[in-house]
Amino acid sequence: MAVLQLRSALTPEERQQRQKLILRDSLALLSLFAIAILLFFVTLFLFHSFSVHRQELAKRWLLRGENAMRANKPLVAIDALRSALAYAPDDENLEIELAEALAAAGRTEEAIAYFNTLLESRPGNGMINLQLARLAAKQGEEATVIDHYQAALDGTWEGDGYVRRREVRLELAQYLIGRKRFDAARTQLLIASGNAPDDVHIEIQVAGLLEEAQDYANALRIYKKALQHRPAQLTALEGASRTAYALNRFVQAKTYLERTLNHPDFEKQPTAVQAKFRDLLSDTDHILLLYPGSQLSVRARAERTLANRKTAQERLAACLKNKQAVPPELQELAADWQHLPASLRLLQVEQNPDLEQRIMQLVYKTEQGTSQLCGAATGDDALLLKIAQASEAIEQP
Amino acid sequence: MSVQPMQDAGAQQRAKTPFRPLTQVEMEKIAPTRDERLFLVLSIFIGVLSGLLVVSFRIAIEWIKILTLGSAPHAGQLRLLFVPALAGLFVAALVQLVFPGARGSGVNQTKAALYIYNGYISFKTVIGKFITAALAIGCGHSLGPEDPSLQIGAGVASMVARRLNLSRQRLRLFAPIGAAAGLAAAFNAPISAILFVIEEVIGQWSAAVLGSIVLSAISSVVVARWFWGSEPIFRIPPITLRDPRELIAYAVLGVVGGFAALVFSKALGYLRPRLRAMPHWTHYCQSGIAGLLVGSIGFFGFAQVMGPGYEVIDQAMHGQFAWKLLLALALLKILATTLSFSSGTPGGMFAPTLFIGAMLGASVGSFEKLFFPHLTGTIGAYALVGMGVLFAGFLRAPLTSVFMVLEVSGNYSIILPVILANMIAYVLSRGLQPVPIFEVFTHQDGLDLPSMEEAREELELHLEDALHPVHVPVVHGRQTIAEATQIVFAAGAAAFLVSLWDGSWYAMTADDLAAANATSTPDTPVERILPPERVPILFPDMPLDTALHYFPRWPVLPIMNRASKGTLEGVVTQDDVLHRYQEY
Repeated sequence: MAVLQLRSALTPEERQQRQKLILRDSLALLSLFAIAILLFFVTLFLFHSFSVHRQELAKRWLLRGENAMRANKPLVAIDALRSALAYAPDDENLEIELAEALAAAGRTEEAIAYFNTLLESRPGNGMINLQLARLAAKQGEEATVIDHYQAALDGTWEGDGYVRRREVRLELAQYLIGRKRFDAARTQLLIASGNAPDDVHIEIQVAGLLEEAQDYANALRIYKKALQHRPAQLTALEGASRTAYALNRFVQAKTYLERTLNHPDFEKQPTAVQAKFRDLLSDTDHILLLYPGSQLSVRARAERTLANRKTAQERLAACLKNKQAVPPELQELAADWQHLPASLRLLQVEQNPDLEQRIMQLVYKTEQGTSQLCGAATGDDALLLKIAQASEAIEQP
Repeated sequence: MSVQPMQDAGAQQRAKTPFRPLTQVEMEKIAPTRDERLFLVLSIFIGVLSGLLVVSFRIAIEWIKILTLGSAPHAGQLRLLFVPALAGLFVAALVQLVFPGARGSGVNQTKAALYIYNGYISFKTVIGKFITAALAIGCGHSLGPEDPSLQIGAGVASMVARRLNLSRQRLRLFAPIGAAAGLAAAFNAPISAILFVIEEVIGQWSAAVLGSIVLSAISSVVVARWFWGSEPIFRIPPITLRDPRELIAYAVLGVVGGFAALVFSKALGYLRPRLRAMPHWTHYCQSGIAGLLVGSIGFFGFAQVMGPGYEVIDQAMHGQFAWKLLLALALLKILATTLSFSSGTPGGMFAPTLFIGAMLGASVGSFEKLFFPHLTGTIGAYALVGMGVLFAGFLRAPLTSVFMVLEVSGNYSIILPVILANMIAYVLSRGLQPVPIFEVFTHQDGLDLPSMEEAREELELHLEDALHPVHVPVVHGRQTIAEATQIVFAAGAAAFLVSLWDGSWYAMTADDLAAANATSTPDTPVERILPPERVPILFPDMPLDTALHYFPRWPVLPIMNRASKGTLEGVVTQDDVLHRYQEY
């Protein structure tokens, strides 16, 4: 009713004006709508072309950045990757690459700040933790390094997580070796070795690190495992030779050293390396000639025992001669020798294995004592000292 | 039968007459609710159009940047030197010769349109702002796109309102509606845009316009997000307040931000009027020289300060820079923006303010992280709070600054550091620089626009402030004229109140009563001689000026109690109201 009353209150001319006004408003709104549609398509076209161009620029700058990194030009890479990131701000890998470039350029502070920020948005990311560990290592913050390496091991990795975790573990072990924390390094290496696939290169790498961590037994075990692969790798042979020698397993060492020297690639090794292995083989041969091994005949063992006795006594005598005040350790050694018969015949030794054993123990004790008090041993003394370190291991398979 | 053809002929003749614009009175008569209905519909249209224009504006800036400065401007490129300089010369020529209205940031121009030109912003100004600001910003001048977007939005609103022939009152309201739409689309944050327009353009909360502002801002943001996505302009890293001791660092940030805002304001306040006062011909080359100087900063190692710098803000928030570099960038940005803006180059202050704040925040955050690694939160959080700090300290919009950070981060756990740091910066800046920067600019431009800071803090007077106890006689409607006369003359009052049976009141003068005595018998009840109208119903909490226009009709106004109908709280007279205003 109210509407009708309102309408009836208008004159015909006003009513017509009202209709025209409605028509005009409708047309105006329609034209606004049309303008909005037109503007939308213009904007869409501009936006689309711009988006495509941005993607192209992101790819182009990423490529330049990666090439610069490969060419070892991290400063160029930083600029390029920053540009790439400006056009593809959500690319996580790009962010990590940029942080790596910062680190590579020596801008450690910036790199740490950036990686920390990345870590806050991706707290469990293995790669970021690894990079932070490396940067902390550069700054000498050992606790932080180990924390980040551990976080990297426990963290998430894209795709090849299994491989990357092993690499991180080996890197951590290497760091620990560098810090002389051999026990901790050994633990990491044994875990890595336990989880590693049957791959000769990985075995050689782990064994090498174990060797650096002074775990020669495990290193030798893994070298041996690596040598089961055919053809035998020279590196594995060299490692097995070194570790067997270090463990006093001279019988084994001789075998590996001979195989090493006979390996076709051995001649391609640097001369110094070749000489070193030849020396090792020579020493091993000498040691095996000195050592009264169980494989030898009774006579041969007795001959070697008496010869070693003579060498040790001469070393002790020379040592005593140089001392004005004889240390109690040397006095004790001299007394021990006096408890043995002054002159021994070959037959006596042949018939008395205990005597043979006692003589050899006293030889080892003499070489060890004199090496501590009278300077480094040389010649046969040095070889006997080497045997003394683990005489029971010499013939171990 | 004979009348009908004549009517038809008349109608046809009227139909043939062209449509003449109706006057406001005619419009009110034939379509009284038209403006109100169109207002809301047009708010959405304005939002959509502003959103589209602002998206195009930003794309234009990006395209110009890529085409002129290259896809990755960096130190040592010669073009960094000459591109901003040439662009400055070209833009200055355009502003001086073709688009004089495009000069400046856009905020004050929009306020001027609102308060001086009845909301009028010409199409030419909108086009000019779009072209000149896009060129200047795209070519590396240290300015931002938000304030121009605000003006473009206001211009769109003004054009639409004019096209629809809306009333002058409505036309004036459209400028802030468009401004909110433009700013919301540029910043991708509708709440901040609405609050900024209320804080800085309108100066007060107005229910009449708030709904439309919200509609237009939301519409424009919906459009902008359709293109850009829902993410803010820069990516926000996760933000947490880890340790309450961090608040000390945020307080330090507030102090640093307050001083930086002061330096920035003083630099602009010093250089801008001096450049404007130089001979007119120099205005053609000031932008060019400013461009050359800004380009030099970029050429010699700090290309990050060129342009709005959003990607640099993003990088800083993600910890890509060391604290010393961040500090250097903040200081150089103050210098570059002072040069660009003071030269009259069209472009806004928002982005540079955010840039400086983000760099200072990230610098404080990085410093803390370096020296107190277990104490601090993310660098991004400091950068974000830093932006709010500069916003509060430099632009002097404290409410917007807090909500901007909350809206952009979407994280309310940061509210305490934001409020702490922002308030310190605001109080410090206000204490050291009493006049806000936009007001400084208006004074420099010879305008006298209302101070929004003062408007926000102005205390409004209410009727309760002028209220007095009932000191006039009160007569009941059923009492006779004789009784009333006796009461009124005994009190010697010039006016008195009549209480009626239904709880309503009437105010009468002694003269009226004397006249009634002459025309009616003394035993006539007073209510019989009263006309049907009653005094207006007023309550103590209503604005004081509400009462003013009733005084010509009523000698005294009763003020009612809202809880008890008909009960008086007191009375006010015209003298009471005027006296209260004089005291105020």
